[in-house]
Amino acid sequence: MARSRLVTPVSLVKARVLLANGFASMTAYRAEIIIWMLSGTLALVMMLIWMAQASRAAGGEIGGYNGQDFASYFLSVWVTGQLLVAWVAWELDFQIRQGTLSPQLLRPLDPLWVHYFHHLAERIVRLPFMVLLVALFAWLTGAHFSSNPLDYLIFLVLAMVGFTMRFLWEYCTGLLAFWMESSTALSELNWLLYAALGGFFAPLSFYPPLVQDIARWTPFPYMVGLPAQLLAGKATLAQASWGLLVLAGWTVAFWLLRAWMWRSGLRRYGAVGA
Amino acid sequence: MRRYLRVTRVFLAATLSAGLEYRINFVAALLSSLGNSAVALLGLSLFYSRSGGGTLGGWSYPQALLVVGFFMLAQGFISVVLQPNLNKIAEAIRTGTMDFTLLKPIDAQWSVSTRNLNLLRLGDVLVGVAILIWALLQLDGVRLGGVLLSALLFFCALMSVYSVWFMLSTTAFWLVKTENITELFNGVFGAARFPVAAFPAPVQLALTFVIPVAFVTTVPAQAVTGSLSPTLGLLAPLIALLLFLGSRLFWRHALASYTSASS
Repeated sequence: MARSRLVTPVSLVKARVLLANGFASMTAYRAEIIIWMLSGTLALVMMLIWMAQASRAAGGEIGGYNGQDFASYFLSVWVTGQLLVAWVAWELDFQIRQGTLSPQLLRPLDPLWVHYFHHLAERIVRLPFMVLLVALFAWLTGAHFSSNPLDYLIFLVLAMVGFTMRFLWEYCTGLLAFWMESSTALSELNWLLYAALGGFFAPLSFYPPLVQDIARWTPFPYMVGLPAQLLAGKATLAQASWGLLVLAGWTVAFWLLRAWMWRSGLRRYGAVGA
Repeated sequence: MRRYLRVTRVFLAATLSAGLEYRINFVAALLSSLGNSAVALLGLSLFYSRSGGGTLGGWSYPQALLVVGFFMLAQGFISVVLQPNLNKIAEAIRTGTMDFTLLKPIDAQWSVSTRNLNLLRLGDVLVGVAILIWALLQLDGVRLGGVLLSALLFFCALMSVYSVWFMLSTTAFWLVKTENITELFNGVFGAARFPVAAFPAPVQLALTFVIPVAFVTTVPAQAVTGSLSPTLGLLAPLIALLLFLGSRLFWRHALASYTSASS
């Protein structure tokens, strides 16, 4: 029975209901959402330090970035990071361990979609506070953003695919709970990779050449660094479309991995006695 | 006092045997400690590779390494001692098990603060110590007095961190959930990764006097490098003492207004 709904796409009606449901439950958590937003400070800390570094450097710039450029880059990274937040690994880990996954399996709907649309709905709740905070920070730091409307459109597409990629990746990590005692320690490692190679510490061009070469083959620079550069008006259309292509490839790969893990994991879960 | 030591031993044995059940977790936790420090070092080295052997707000690489070492150590203290204990306070109040703790003939604040240790995260502490030793070996003219003073100041810093966490967790007597408040603490604490001097001037002031993150990592590191101002050196133990007393008073106040879950 489980097999039949493994990779079923979700219907539009279901999607709308899930999104509305997610929105309703997320608005109840708006205080928490603001706190989560504020606790993701890495990009802002790095912004402040790089700005101070630039102001002390000869010529007021480092590697072609002056203080305002750093502010634009890191604020954009912060925005992108906010759009890519995914906590599904923790939820899956909990559900598998506590057995609350079982009732979900009885529904004619892949639980993936419930999580996915809840995450999307949370973005909508996040949006107004996010815009407010970015406007405030931009005013304080003198950051400037792209003036080309097309950049914003591509940014949205990239962020959407990037989020889907991150979501699937975290989903796979969470599914590891079928086999391991706890998958959440791995989730921390995920975050480190994502933050380091995504460009939270500096624009990717600042990294050692070896790290840059490795990063190019991973999805991370295209999930965070590239959309951020688009917002800051520092990425070309060619770069963006190449990034989108790589990212789409990774997303498909993780979609297949997720489907395979889900199938073999459920078989194991059933065997344990759920 | 003897009784407290004996109880500590029992607590430790209990958490150790519970922790050893999950061996794969230990490997994963160790990996994430190593990953954590690798990322911190990468972040740090970016500043030095670009500006041509330059400085980070006047700090040389080994000096800034000291800060990273103290940061990892403080992080280890939080995840080994604070998080497993203090995050349980809210749950204990909600489910009513806090009553049992209060009935026991040992100090309740002490008991809720030491009952559980997350030994899985001991890796953070080890990595922190390793970074500190590495930094000390690269620095010239380190004096034993400076190192001892720095150890003392770091102890004060841990006391302050404990007190702040404890006060945040004590709010659970009125609020239902506190995990999010501690999340916010982590966000702010991330700024301790780098020497305060690396930030723009107004932010430096804020990190020293408004949210005194500077005292946790920068001040102990300054004691080693000999650049510590006497004012900050004297202020550190004072702040620690005040915060600790504050946490004690706040706990008493919370208990006085606690009506328990069952009665």
